[in-house]
Amino acid sequence: MSTLVSHPISAADRSGIGPRRGRGSSMRTWRWSDRLLLLAAWAAGLTLCAIAAAIVLYMGYRGIQYLSPELIFSRPQASLTQAGSGGFLDPLLGTMLLTVIGVAIAAPLAICSALWIVEYGRPNWLARVVESGIEIVAGTPDIVIAFFGLAIFQLHLLSFASETAEGGGVTGRSFLAAGAMMSLIALPPIFVTVRDGLQTVPSHMREAAFALGKTRIATIRRVLLPGVRSNIATGVTLGVSRIIADTAIVIVLLGSTLRISPQPGGAPVLGVLKGLGSTLTSYIYENSPAGEGGAPQKAYAAAFVLMLFVLALNLVVERISRAQARSSGFVTAVEGIV
Amino acid sequence: MHRIRRIAASFAAVTLIGAAVPAIASATSVITISGATASFPLVQLLAHKYTKLEHNKVSFRISQGGSTVGVNDVDAGRVTIADVSRDPLPTDPTGLDFYPIAEYGICIVTNKSNTLPSLNEAQIQAIFEAKDKEWSQVPGATASGPIDLISRTSTAGVLTNFKTLFLANKSVASTAAEEPSEGALEQQVANDPRGIGFLSNYRADQGTVNPVAYNGVACTRANVASGQYTATARFYEVTKGEATGAAGKFISWVRTSKAARKIISTQWVPIKATS
Amino acid sequence: MLSRLRNPWPDHRAERMLGAVALFACLCVLAMIALVAQRAWPIFAHNGLSWLGSGGSLKAQIETMLATSAHPPASAFYFRAWPIIYGTLLITALAVLLALPLSVLSAVFIVELAPLRMRRVTVRVVRLLASVPSVVWGLIGILVLVPFFDNHIISPSERTSVEGTVQLTGAGLAPAVLVLAVMITPIMVALTCDALGAVPPAWREGAAALGVNRMRAIRAVTLRAVRPAIVAATVLATARALGEAIVISMVSGSNFFAPRPSDGLTFLFEPLRSLASTIVDYHEGTSAPALSAALYACALLLLFSAFALSVGGYLIKLPMRKYQTRG
Repeated sequence: MSTLVSHPISAADRSGIGPRRGRGSSMRTWRWSDRLLLLAAWAAGLTLCAIAAAIVLYMGYRGIQYLSPELIFSRPQASLTQAGSGGFLDPLLGTMLLTVIGVAIAAPLAICSALWIVEYGRPNWLARVVESGIEIVAGTPDIVIAFFGLAIFQLHLLSFASETAEGGGVTGRSFLAAGAMMSLIALPPIFVTVRDGLQTVPSHMREAAFALGKTRIATIRRVLLPGVRSNIATGVTLGVSRIIADTAIVIVLLGSTLRISPQPGGAPVLGVLKGLGSTLTSYIYENSPAGEGGAPQKAYAAAFVLMLFVLALNLVVERISRAQARSSGFVTAVEGIV
Repeated sequence: MHRIRRIAASFAAVTLIGAAVPAIASATSVITISGATASFPLVQLLAHKYTKLEHNKVSFRISQGGSTVGVNDVDAGRVTIADVSRDPLPTDPTGLDFYPIAEYGICIVTNKSNTLPSLNEAQIQAIFEAKDKEWSQVPGATASGPIDLISRTSTAGVLTNFKTLFLANKSVASTAAEEPSEGALEQQVANDPRGIGFLSNYRADQGTVNPVAYNGVACTRANVASGQYTATARFYEVTKGEATGAAGKFISWVRTSKAARKIISTQWVPIKATS
Repeated sequence: MLSRLRNPWPDHRAERMLGAVALFACLCVLAMIALVAQRAWPIFAHNGLSWLGSGGSLKAQIETMLATSAHPPASAFYFRAWPIIYGTLLITALAVLLALPLSVLSAVFIVELAPLRMRRVTVRVVRLLASVPSVVWGLIGILVLVPFFDNHIISPSERTSVEGTVQLTGAGLAPAVLVLAVMITPIMVALTCDALGAVPPAWREGAAALGVNRMRAIRAVTLRAVRPAIVAATVLATARALGEAIVISMVSGSNFFAPRPSDGLTFLFEPLRSLASTIVDYHEGTSAPALSAALYACALLLLFSAFALSVGGYLIKLPMRKYQTRG
């Protein structure tokens, strides 16, 4: 990452030479193919910017056009017309609930795994196996994870997590099931950021703690965990943005009921967890022409709200990484993406 | 550190409460329903009313998926009741009880811009078997270009009925797009100026698509009720074995009570008491 | 009990606890592979590996699967998934081909060419594009791109040319490829940037010292040095594209049709399905055992491909380790 900052060309940029006049050679002497490539690279970069600007502006325009406070604060209604189908309060709450469940499961798992791998990691082969396991999860398509969730929560062993019909079949669909699968989506980014953070903690900090007579675990609690707090924050934020953006898991594991429908007769909290519902993403899907509801305007409004969340999370990641003041920006970009 | 421990303790507390409560919880009964997307609006209305009448002692969990999905679900014990929008088929699992609850019409629908007034059986067969491929071959059509057939996936009871009632049990041409639900089909026809499909009379009447008269009779609730519109079918509630318990009470309420008949009569036609 | 927690744990117990948690995360993966394989087994039992090939109408097979209930006859398990495998390959290949030049050029732009402020903006743009939820891409695809194709791109003669075979409604291969390409570009840009930034500055300086102009240095030295990284980025992006379900389900026209290159350009507008979008489209049909097995077989194939691709990406990146700071 420091390679970029000390990069000769970026240093040239910073001193205001500008990219068009390269080091010592005028563009006029360039070959056509080189000029073409330069042009193409600029065009590609600007195309990306243009696409992003178009998306943001278009969603913003649609959002302002269709979003109204009563959409956010009213519950979805069963109706065949766009006017009568209510708002997306439930999906909004559903998104938050799933995020909380997913992070509550993923964060401890990811942090503990990262700690074990970096600080203990014995036997070595087992550590590699765990690392590759998490890498496999990271590469697994979300629809496969969703179907895995369906398979595992339909087992009678896990029937407590969803509803059981009178005939004895387990539905396997509930907030708990969806949240558990969401944690698999959020786990890899948290794991990777925390692991990388731990690896960059200088070893003299550990040695100093050991010298003071601290045990390994005490060092972890008093020295390392506080040291990687910002990594944990970044990882969790990335995990959250994975969760709120996911659609396939919600559609498969929460069903297409737009209202949060707790398990009837269940306890206040547990009933909701065992019940069905929706999130912003599934609301958008259901209300788009691909789904059932046929309310594209509401889909746009919900997508606008979702985009606001995404933008906010992006800002948070950026804030944290700037506070960390350790990179020029795109290393975190990579962390956030892959 | 103290904070972390407190959080851990409160997690433990929540888990304990969570484990203790479900034992007391099952005072109300849940009726789970899956199946036809065509009868979904009706069953939802009925369930809503019934829940109110029973002072929330009963609650419903209704999902869709298509008639055949409902039949499979109820057979496998995944739901209590299946909504089915077609008559029993020989391929259905044995041991299921079909209770008819309402009659509905099946309408041919086109895009609103295509104000096709009426079709007869031969025309419908030519269109849906893809013998007529251009709108120019259909008298009265205001659309141009190829006809886009929009059908339903094979789990749909409405599709089964459509084939029996209009196509003499032949299949819709294989080029047809297949939509998983009534809503999706309605969307598709509403968005495609060259589209044609079929919907239950309630869906067709929502103002998003153009319902086409069949043999000159408009596809409306009134014409279904009077018997003038002949392409009609029934909604069933299906249980595994005789309907008992909460589900049985609900089904008999739907079939006999005045309140239920009133709801059914708004858009559909109640089954006459003799049948 | 709480007072015992207050004292730090002995080290060996902490190690075991943390290790157990890490192992649990790993066991989830094994459970996933095992369960998905177990659910998919009936398809393998009845078809062997020939379900990956073609034969008969896939649509009819799925309908048979849906129509049978709890105890399906053996014939219901007949499954030949080639049309959707072909659809997956087609969409993925075209999207990656489209995204590859775009992302390599953008990465060069970001690392080598852009003025500092521009670079900051572009990095943010890449991160934003990467985090746009797939359903939002799908929504724009289905509400903007698909009607645009239907009204302005597809000509009446193209509609007529495939009449009787398939209906062109705007949703199809082209919009799916376009949206997917935009979705995977940020991944490839990020990985390529990472590699470009890791090329030792001395190499570039060496090229400059030889009097080569900047673009030439980029082509001859930098891009050549990061070729393995570009391949690895492509592989990862391919994995992402393979598994994308929601967007494809929304804009591909959801039809078990295999687009025919023999139709010329019209081929680009023909509808299709991918493995992942088929799973989404039929997820409610899992109550039919035969269909459930078929969908799980598709999921297993996706899982296997994603696994193979990530191993492939890892192997390709190995030579990069020499001068790269981050894997």
